[in-house]
Amino acid sequence: MLNQFGIEDKRVRLDWVSASEGDRFAAIVNEMTEQLRELGPLGLSRGNGGAHG
Amino acid sequence: MAKLKLALYWAASCGGCEIAQLQIGEKLLKLAEVADIVFWPVAIDVKYKDVEAMPDKSIDVCLFNGGIRTSEQEHLAKLLREKSKVLIAYGACAYVGGIPGLANLFDKQSIFERVYLETQSTDNPNKVTPQTKHQVTEGELTIPELYDTVKSLPQTVPVEYIIPGCPPEEKTTWMALEALIEGKLPPVGAVISHNAKAVCDDCQRKRDVKKVKKFYRTYEITTDPQICLLEQGLLCAGLATRGGCGAPCPQANMPCTGCYGPAQGVTDQGAHFLSAVASVIDSSDKNEIQKIVDDIPDPVGTFYRYSLPDSLLRRARIK
Repeated sequence: MLNQFGIEDKRVRLDWVSASEGDRFAAIVNEMTEQLRELGPLGLSRGNGGAHG
Repeated sequence: MAKLKLALYWAASCGGCEIAQLQIGEKLLKLAEVADIVFWPVAIDVKYKDVEAMPDKSIDVCLFNGGIRTSEQEHLAKLLREKSKVLIAYGACAYVGGIPGLANLFDKQSIFERVYLETQSTDNPNKVTPQTKHQVTEGELTIPELYDTVKSLPQTVPVEYIIPGCPPEEKTTWMALEALIEGKLPPVGAVISHNAKAVCDDCQRKRDVKKVKKFYRTYEITTDPQICLLEQGLLCAGLATRGGCGAPCPQANMPCTGCYGPAQGVTDQGAHFLSAVASVIDSSDKNEIQKIVDDIPDPVGTFYRYSLPDSLLRRARIK
């Protein structure tokens, strides 16, 4: 459904990390933030906010 | 007691709300006893300039249907807000954007390209698309501007009440009008309906936790008249949708499409509907789940049939 909104697959990730896997948790968060940084802002506010949206 | 001054307006809508207002039948006479209609473009010839000339707050109640997608509709929303003591968002389009709100999957340019250039029946060699201004010998002609994004009325101006539905059921309309006539107004911000709980609370069908292996479109199966439609694989929005309509659609073997808007406590109707659908899927195999979900045509149009402008995302990204 998010594709219909123009939101790329790479912006959404579902993963499982056990409470004992601190390193893995940090690695996944770093990967995800890096990936999002590359994709740039979503830009949804354009057309959403102003009266002339 | 002086008669109430009543105004009715239509913005981005289909005209069905006017039919719904007439549906109260002989109760219209009761309404006419206590109210004078001062503005109603569908039925009486009162010009915008006449409304502009009215003193502020001189209209007691305005029933406003339709979403806001042009400069004209935005102007009228602001004007009627100024002129009305009580402004009511009437119907799904004014409340949450409605069917025209699905235009938020596109933008003005792509809509113009599709409608004026690409459609099979279009013959437009000069590639003319609507312009807001045009010079002719007699002077300048203007038409309102179409916006990229459809908004609901409460996203445009503050409203006192909401009457939900596409269109609102006769009893919902009358519940609101009766409260106005008797001066027994609910607290400001109220969504007026007979049942704040979900449509399922109005629905007589039985739920027996049957799990779904495949979703169907209505023409693809014959349903059991006693069992919950969602549990039979039809995409019924009842769980996510405000009741009070009396669940006429499920009683006629049609799944609820969500026209009364989000049930009380639900922020994003489509997300809530999606979550209900996810909970009935009977599989833990990733590939099988994918296949079951792929059977759902046009997810945004299904889950956000009426409420895309009111959703958390509000619209698709503009490229």
